[in-house]
Amino acid sequence: MKRIIILASTLILGLSVLVLSEITEEGVKYQESEEAGGPEIVYTKPVKGVLFSHKLHVKELGLPCESCHTAIFEMEAFKSQRNPDFNMDSLYKGKYCGACHNGQTAFASNTKCATCHVGVKGLERLKKKAQAVEKK
Amino acid sequence: MNWKKFFKNLKMEEQGCVPDETKREFLKIGLIITGVAAGGSLLNVVSVVAEGLATSEEVHKEYPYKPHYSMVFRVDRCIDCELCVEACNQTNNVPEYGWRTKILERVDTKAVDQQRQFMPILCNHCNNPPCVRACPTKATYKDKQTGIVKMASYKCIGCKTCMVACPYDARYFNEEKRAIDKCDFCWESRLSKGMKITACSEACPAGVRIFGDLSDPNSEVYKIVHQMGKAVWVLKPETGAKPNVFYTIG
Repeated sequence: MKRIIILASTLILGLSVLVLSEITEEGVKYQESEEAGGPEIVYTKPVKGVLFSHKLHVKELGLPCESCHTAIFEMEAFKSQRNPDFNMDSLYKGKYCGACHNGQTAFASNTKCATCHVGVKGLERLKKKAQAVEKK
Repeated sequence: MNWKKFFKNLKMEEQGCVPDETKREFLKIGLIITGVAAGGSLLNVVSVVAEGLATSEEVHKEYPYKPHYSMVFRVDRCIDCELCVEACNQTNNVPEYGWRTKILERVDTKAVDQQRQFMPILCNHCNNPPCVRACPTKATYKDKQTGIVKMASYKCIGCKTCMVACPYDARYFNEEKRAIDKCDFCWESRLSKGMKITACSEACPAGVRIFGDLSDPNSEVYKIVHQMGKAVWVLKPETGAKPNVFYTIG
């Protein structure tokens, strides 16, 4: 029985790694490229359309996985979005993105809003992009 | 060096001397403006240093309305979450195809640093409203007390002349009402019932939309429009419409 569970869970895990894009209520997730280092994630809560780009942070800026995982963010996408404190106030206190986006390591969370906030328009655009990735 | 010519050229560089065409060409460079539907005229994105500085003598003159309703957008805070649009649509029964307010987007992939800007727009409740002048049946009018540009839907014949006349693309034809519909600063749905601010400014999580009485020195809108530390501007000042919607940063 135990073996079956392990088998099943590895199968599910394996499959979830293979999934290139995902569009759900929670948001949009898609793989920009294999070398990106992880998916592009578009959050929808507490407000619609906030982009985290693995491509930018890992591939282009060269940050190692350990800078965020798993002390600040767990590996599962959208897990932190389910927390009630996943909001700007927490960021200002140094949680989540605010761990680096504090004005010292990276630009402060209360500046350059539309850099990460791609909005409803960005969300719709990236949904389409995710769909295109899936079709490939 | 011909100094006389040099200084003459310098003078030509001033904003006021640049012909409108040139300005428009300049603004076109690298700008992609989405979210502007057909119907009204296109809305230019006015740059911060552009011609529309609102802190001129004009704003210190006595205000013709009491309360003189006005809105100030702290535009760089806008994140296009569109909670304002949702709140507006719900409060004022705006159908899916219509709009009373919308968010424009500007993307410039060659810009230094931040490459995206959002800009909310709505009816500017102009002091000199081109739509009111254009309406053949006086279905749209300037409220004598509050200065709100209102609709008397029963008088509207749906000719859409006001839509064309509006420099701010703030009007749409409502199929259900068989009349033009537009922002009335939530007069019908909220202000006339004693509420103090519009649904959009209440819904905004980022403090973009500041609503209030421009003739009241204690109001936030008064304090922003009447300071000189930060630029305050209006859209399309060249139309002479004298809008009551202002833009600033911060």
